[in-house]
Amino acid sequence: MAYSDKVLDHYNNPRNVGSMDKNSPNVGTGMVGAPECGDVMKLQLMVNPDSGVIEDAKFKTFGCGSAIASSSLATEWLKGKTVDQALEIKNTDIVNELSLPPVKIHCSVLAEDAIKAAISDYKQKQSVGQAEAVTAH
Amino acid sequence: MLPSLASDYFEFFGLAPKLHLDLDQLQKRFYELSKVLHPDRYQRKIPAEQQYSQDATALLNDAYRVLRDPLQRAEYLLKKAGFEIGEQRSKDVPPELLEEVFDLNMALEEMRDGDASARPQLEQARDKFHAMRDEIDARLKHLFVMYDAAPERETLGEIRSALNRRRYIRNLVNDVEKELQ
Repeated sequence: MAYSDKVLDHYNNPRNVGSMDKNSPNVGTGMVGAPECGDVMKLQLMVNPDSGVIEDAKFKTFGCGSAIASSSLATEWLKGKTVDQALEIKNTDIVNELSLPPVKIHCSVLAEDAIKAAISDYKQKQSVGQAEAVTAH
Repeated sequence: MLPSLASDYFEFFGLAPKLHLDLDQLQKRFYELSKVLHPDRYQRKIPAEQQYSQDATALLNDAYRVLRDPLQRAEYLLKKAGFEIGEQRSKDVPPELLEEVFDLNMALEEMRDGDASARPQLEQARDKFHAMRDEIDARLKHLFVMYDAAPERETLGEIRSALNRRRYIRNLVNDVEKELQ
């Protein structure tokens, strides 16, 4: 099976590889995996708490080329979006952009799951932070 | 009576669809059927019967290979019950396992890059994942007994989760062992 040019591009030059401080209140971390192929994907995003805009996104993925490309593309798309806009990213958008074949669709699902997990982690931190701020008063 | 080509693996062997099988009995039945169905015995038969002999022998071999292995047998039973094997979304994977897998992959990558200091970490991980695999095997054994006593769909669901988890861990163990060689 041949990878599309876009997959190869992301695979050979993955964008935004790295990690952020997962303990920071403005960083949301999503860790997801697909046991059947042994893929594991970590996606992190840093949100400006005032504007709700995602200022930075990083990922590290162990897995096949499509999984790496899906998460690399996801981090590109996340930057500059608000948290709510980011939640609208669908795995089908990734499939279309990367021309993923049917057998690799689960890689895009994984990337969508990672985005959702990272945002839910961020939101949880924010609500805990607010609760603490309230109790401190 | 000769087994039908349309029968499932258990039916083909004349066995009840159980997760625990008597392997001696299975083997005995395999030899019996092999003899009865062997193409050599069909040389003077009409083409349709010769074809049956070939197809039935192929089916017999497939069935035997799957049924004699407890894990493959369980996967086969799950598939027949409509469960998808291997297709597992991350929400079904315990988060702490994902963390471990991630850290382990980092260590593997360091090793590949020539950093030998990751070795003790890998050895530790290997032992730990071996222990996890043994734990899952014990759980599977328990679930198999449960299912055979009362074939509930819920039990099959638990078996599927355990099998998926086992597959994940097996892949890891293989990766680690390859790197440690």
